[in-house]
Amino acid sequence: MNSEPLLDQLIEALRCLPGVGPKSAQRMALHLLERNREGGKHLSTMLDAAMERIGRCRVCRNLTEEEICLICGNEKRDKSLLCIVETPSDVMAIEQATGYQGRYFVLMGRLSPLDGIGPEELGLEDLAEQLNNNPPREMIIATNPTVEGEATAYYLQRMAQKQGVAVSRISHGVPLGGELEFTDQSTIAHAFSSRQAVEN
Amino acid sequence: MFTSLEPSYILHSRPYRESSLLLEVFGKAQGRVGLVARGARGPRSRWKSILQPFRPLLLSWTRRGEMGTLTGADQVASPPALAGDPLFCGLYANELLMHFLHRSDPHPGLFDHYSRLVTDLAAGSPTQPLLRLFEFQLLRAAGFGLQLDHEHGGREGIRADAWYVYLPESGPVRRDATSGQAEELVSGAALLELKSGEIGEQHLMELKMLMRKLIRFYMGGKTLKSQFLFLQS
Repeated sequence: MNSEPLLDQLIEALRCLPGVGPKSAQRMALHLLERNREGGKHLSTMLDAAMERIGRCRVCRNLTEEEICLICGNEKRDKSLLCIVETPSDVMAIEQATGYQGRYFVLMGRLSPLDGIGPEELGLEDLAEQLNNNPPREMIIATNPTVEGEATAYYLQRMAQKQGVAVSRISHGVPLGGELEFTDQSTIAHAFSSRQAVEN
Repeated sequence: MFTSLEPSYILHSRPYRESSLLLEVFGKAQGRVGLVARGARGPRSRWKSILQPFRPLLLSWTRRGEMGTLTGADQVASPPALAGDPLFCGLYANELLMHFLHRSDPHPGLFDHYSRLVTDLAAGSPTQPLLRLFEFQLLRAAGFGLQLDHEHGGREGIRADAWYVYLPESGPVRRDATSGQAEELVSGAALLELKSGEIGEQHLMELKMLMRKLIRFYMGGKTLKSQFLFLQS
């Protein structure tokens, strides 16, 4: 390109964001430079601070700027419930959608032998240690309903059972507002086989 | 090149770009193929729930060069999903296939064996004999078939009451039961069962050791990640 080197570098740098191609990167860069320099400066300080300071919680491995995250550090939360999720965004999803008051453990991935991710790569011995030293009353497995998520769930289930911890798995089935007619066969089959008794 | 409604299984998929998937597919007539499923992870994707491993699918794609583009996916039947130990076994089989099959190298016979393996695993049959048989069929398809017709270097057939050490690339060599290589010894009866495809309870351990040794040999020392899934129990 024949344009300014620093501008080029900025455009190139913005492309590290997901879903941002050369065109949108250029638009973003020009927008900040032409119309919102304040915002750009703020963004750069925030980015710098966040990249420097945000790390992993020592207990649940979620993203946090402290040594122990706000959820793990919150004394009011129920320590007898432990929910296992794949990613930090799953924690956010559950926090926003439910009134869950227990703690989490973030796997940062899932078991996927073909991607070279086994129990060791996921650091499951950390979890085993927690289950051993500090066993919860119930472990809720909230991995995704994919093949890898199921494999992970089964592995976790066996880990927990070895320690005598009760295990539950979040249910999956027909989405709210969905219609059976347009739901795929496997989901219907699953929803049907894991139907619940209606309590009066 | 256009492929239409090919009976296939998905061996592996991983996210690609914003909303697409990169699939490794095992097709009956085409062998292992790499496909891009555009938009398959998007919020309105019809494919999301269909494109899962261990489901018999009919896939259509176009291909120029190495990677193809998925154009259609239909689910043939809805077998019970694999769960628990059978799921781990399925992942192990997929990892073997990914390692031993080359892209665009058709193996229709092995595809049928794999299909039967998945069905039997889902039906809850004992997993170990199924896996041994599949490993045997896979090695044969990959060109590393076991030689079970006669002893290595001789014409004598395999005797059920004798003991052997199986040498990769060569064949069974007869040994005394007391020759000190106990963990490598395999009985003639076990070899004959493997050959006939009817594996009984009694010889499972010997055959497991045999197949493990051969697979390790042909993988050139690499280990399979899915083995670690089983370690815990």
